[in-house]
Amino acid sequence: MNIEEIISSGLLELYAIGMTSPGETVLVENALKDHPEVRQELKKIEMSLESFARVNSMEPSPSVKDKILAQVSKAEKIDVTGIIGGNSRPAPQPAEKNLYRIPSYFKYAAAASLILLIGSLVLNYSYYNKYQQANEQLQAAQNKIDQNQQANLAMKNELNVMSDKNAMPIVLNGTPQAPDALAKIYWMKNTGEVYVDPTHLPAAPEGKQYQLWAIIDGKPVDGGMITTKNGIYHIQKMKSFGHADAFAITLEKAGGNPTPQGEMFVMAKI
Amino acid sequence: MQEVKKYSEEELIYLLKKKDQSAFSYLYDNYAAALFGVIFKMLEIRELAEDVLQEAFVKIWNNFSNYDDAKGRLFTWMVNITRNLTIDIIRSKSFKKQSKIQNSENAVNNIADFSNTSASFDALGIRKQLSLLREDQKQIIELAYFGGFTQDEISKNLNIPLGTVKTRMRTAIIELRKVLKN
Repeated sequence: MNIEEIISSGLLELYAIGMTSPGETVLVENALKDHPEVRQELKKIEMSLESFARVNSMEPSPSVKDKILAQVSKAEKIDVTGIIGGNSRPAPQPAEKNLYRIPSYFKYAAAASLILLIGSLVLNYSYYNKYQQANEQLQAAQNKIDQNQQANLAMKNELNVMSDKNAMPIVLNGTPQAPDALAKIYWMKNTGEVYVDPTHLPAAPEGKQYQLWAIIDGKPVDGGMITTKNGIYHIQKMKSFGHADAFAITLEKAGGNPTPQGEMFVMAKI
Repeated sequence: MQEVKKYSEEELIYLLKKKDQSAFSYLYDNYAAALFGVIFKMLEIRELAEDVLQEAFVKIWNNFSNYDDAKGRLFTWMVNITRNLTIDIIRSKSFKKQSKIQNSENAVNNIADFSNTSASFDALGIRKQLSLLREDQKQIIELAYFGGFTQDEISKNLNIPLGTVKTRMRTAIIELRKVLKN
């Protein structure tokens, strides 16, 4: 299409009024680039249409301008931070039918999302705290169960020892130095195992420990150390003896002595 | 209207590309009424038309870097942005196009209903000149300018071949230019 054809085709008029197809728009824009006559002609068309529009002018409410200026100066601040650059938007071309636009509700949607996000963060924080608390409580409960199970097991072992038909209970009475002291021994006649229940011995002082002795042929033989856990005494297994004349418990230095050195608390003759 | 400053179109474009807010204020003072007239004619609901005008000017400001004066005059670009926004509204509110065509047949006759506030602009004179236009010529310009119709839609609605839309539009605008020269 040469210049005259473009001018006489009516394309410039359609272009000025925004009615050209995308293909026609490109055609016109190329002609505008290359030919000043086409530009001149378009300008006349545009000016006549501008007059046509101005005849229909109508004054909007004064508040509209204030709203626009307020919105624009707000948008400026955002522009400066580079979040929404005017340049980064797709270019609307004069004759394009469908301009790219960000709907006005966008900012409300953005604000709503932000509020939701903050709300969600607060809830997350709160739930996380609750989760941690619950987790700690669970852990504590489990520890308690474990302790109880261990205690149960220990008690069951003690019961087994006491109820064993082969167990010979021997009561070790307090010596004149410790008249309130008392200990019990369960001596398994079939195996020679010796169990001691030191529950009624007074608490051993710091650095000291009770030691069991078996008296065999008039001589004391080491029967093992009685261990105390947090001051709580349980029935515990000692060394085994097939034969003994008597049993005694003395207070020795922690770890024990090869021969009794300390004070004797309880004893029993068989 | 208070005339504080006057800018040539070139100055105005230069300043708006630099995001000059006082130039933007001037742009509004000079073009808002014309653009609002277009929107109102398309929507015929004042409040809605003012919302669209606001949206249009914000868009003009935000997208000004995209304006290319080699592709047309500033007003043409602005009126196209405005018209497209208005068309979006019309479509979203499911406005009836058919009724718009009927309304726009009387549009030029209704021109007297619209106040014009630009003192430098001889609206009355132009109105007189426009009355010299033939009815079918007025109609096709109105349909395109205030109806936002495509060539295809005008062809269907006026029941004329597509090619005739182009030639009739051209004749109408040539006639428009002629009557405006008088």
